[in-house]
Amino acid sequence: MISLISLAPFADADFWLGVGVVAGIYAIFTLGLQLNVGFTGIVNLGQAGFMAIGAYAMAILIVMYGWSPWLALPVATVVAMLAGVVLALPSVRLRGDYLAIATIAAAEIVQSVAQNATGLTGGNNGLLGFDAAWQTIQSWMLSVLSTVGLGDQDQIPLFLVTWLTFGVLMLILVALQHTPWGRVLRAIREDEDAAEALGKNAYAYKVQSMALAAGIGAIAGFLLALNISLIYPGTYSPDFTFIGFAILVLGGLGSYPGVALGAILLEFVLESTRALDLPLAADKVAALRLLIVGFVLVLVMVLRPQGILGKREEMVLRG
Amino acid sequence: MADPIFVVRGLVKSFGGLRAVDGAEFDVSRGSITALIGPNGAGKTTVFNLTTGFTKPDRGAIAFDGRSIFGRSPHAVARSGLVRTFQITKALTAMTVLENMMLAASDQPAEGILGLVTHPFSWVPKEHAIRARGMELLERFGLAPLADTYAGTLSGGQRKLLEFARLLMAQPRMVLLDEPFAGVNPVLGQRILAHVHELRAEKGITFLFIEHDMEVVMNNADRIIVMAFGRVIASGLPSDIRRDQAVIDAYLGAHAEDVA
Repeated sequence: MISLISLAPFADADFWLGVGVVAGIYAIFTLGLQLNVGFTGIVNLGQAGFMAIGAYAMAILIVMYGWSPWLALPVATVVAMLAGVVLALPSVRLRGDYLAIATIAAAEIVQSVAQNATGLTGGNNGLLGFDAAWQTIQSWMLSVLSTVGLGDQDQIPLFLVTWLTFGVLMLILVALQHTPWGRVLRAIREDEDAAEALGKNAYAYKVQSMALAAGIGAIAGFLLALNISLIYPGTYSPDFTFIGFAILVLGGLGSYPGVALGAILLEFVLESTRALDLPLAADKVAALRLLIVGFVLVLVMVLRPQGILGKREEMVLRG
Repeated sequence: MADPIFVVRGLVKSFGGLRAVDGAEFDVSRGSITALIGPNGAGKTTVFNLTTGFTKPDRGAIAFDGRSIFGRSPHAVARSGLVRTFQITKALTAMTVLENMMLAASDQPAEGILGLVTHPFSWVPKEHAIRARGMELLERFGLAPLADTYAGTLSGGQRKLLEFARLLMAQPRMVLLDEPFAGVNPVLGQRILAHVHELRAEKGITFLFIEHDMEVVMNNADRIIVMAFGRVIASGLPSDIRRDQAVIDAYLGAHAEDVA
């Protein structure tokens, strides 16, 4: 009998670390979306654009202008946040579908610029050589890890940095959610007119929400760039945002810890197709992955429409 | 009129070819309970929307407490002390009753991200004070046992009460109520009315309310403003309005004399 499933990849630590790093980057990326979609009620389909702006700004400052990464990282985050403000100012007054269209268009524009402004972005060849500092840190971390016998797992440093970053960002966002600021945000999500009638400037809050999400997206962009040591337009394509939305559906709207669970589940499902030993060409197996993700999404929506950690009561009440 | 708190002059708003409000003019005197009546389509709710910033007026003048609020955004109008309710209650359904109350407080600096940074610790005691004020009002309105339930689980009447209690958290000087008694049982309606009279007596809050029930209007309003076809056709004391021929023709009809 021919076995169609091989469990060998799951026994490999590299597999799990790889899943962990990418899931962590997805999770950070989606934290920003959760802030917008789950807690403010604005459908931001341009998150991938902010991720790209952050990553490119970081790389351009380091590679072309010779900035220290310690300066380039915060400045690139601010650049992405400013881009968030610039996009939000004219567009967050739009409701529902129109905002979705405006934001996805913005992400497409970012990608077009990345592909065509070759003097700045390297076009489709991308940018290299921005991660020298990271290589140093990584070697140092690995030398520390080797004292406990983990020196040959070279994905561990990025894994740790990614999830530590996720943890810090999540704690900040959860804390913000429990402030009066977070309460106004939720009120805007429930009913913008009611919030306005009570003296809350819904427009200003939406702009702030999108700017914060953009900054978080930029941080995901840095880590994604470090993971593959290269920045090129394809990695930051606008459809990356839809991975984030799939994670929101899986993990549940309005839950930050749900983002982590959703990201891990999604990336695990995407990667677990490696265990399929099918007589198919590689590209067909790759296409199969998305089919399985779609199936899992449908399953979640049928069995647990509020997502893994979403609150069913809130979903029902909101109608 | 003595000491008007709310002044509307030459207010005009067209939607396409329809002139919903066509030069409406009226005053509301400070500390009064004033009713805004008129047939359906007279432009009453549109006047509310225009004066509270939810709809942009074409032209005219609107002053609240001596300052122009013409064309200002809804949150700015509310911040200036003029707070409204809606015909269909807007309970924030997926927030608790107490959260609904606390949200409406207008004196929490940490509502802004800047205030959060500049008041990193002092916003917490402020929050306790706001919570206490919210609970106090919920007690008064008989909603305290429901403080921790989602507002979406309340009955229609309870939502009306919550909306009313909530706007008091914003410490308004004037309140606009859009059909506050519609769809409310008579007992609850009387309770809301009693609150209106109490709040006017205690805090000097001015009330302007849209209402179709003539008995409620005649028995509770100090003054009445009558609208028809986007204009104010009469305003004055209930006793005058009842006898005004234009009002009888446009709205009250021949049976007006029987009421109250």
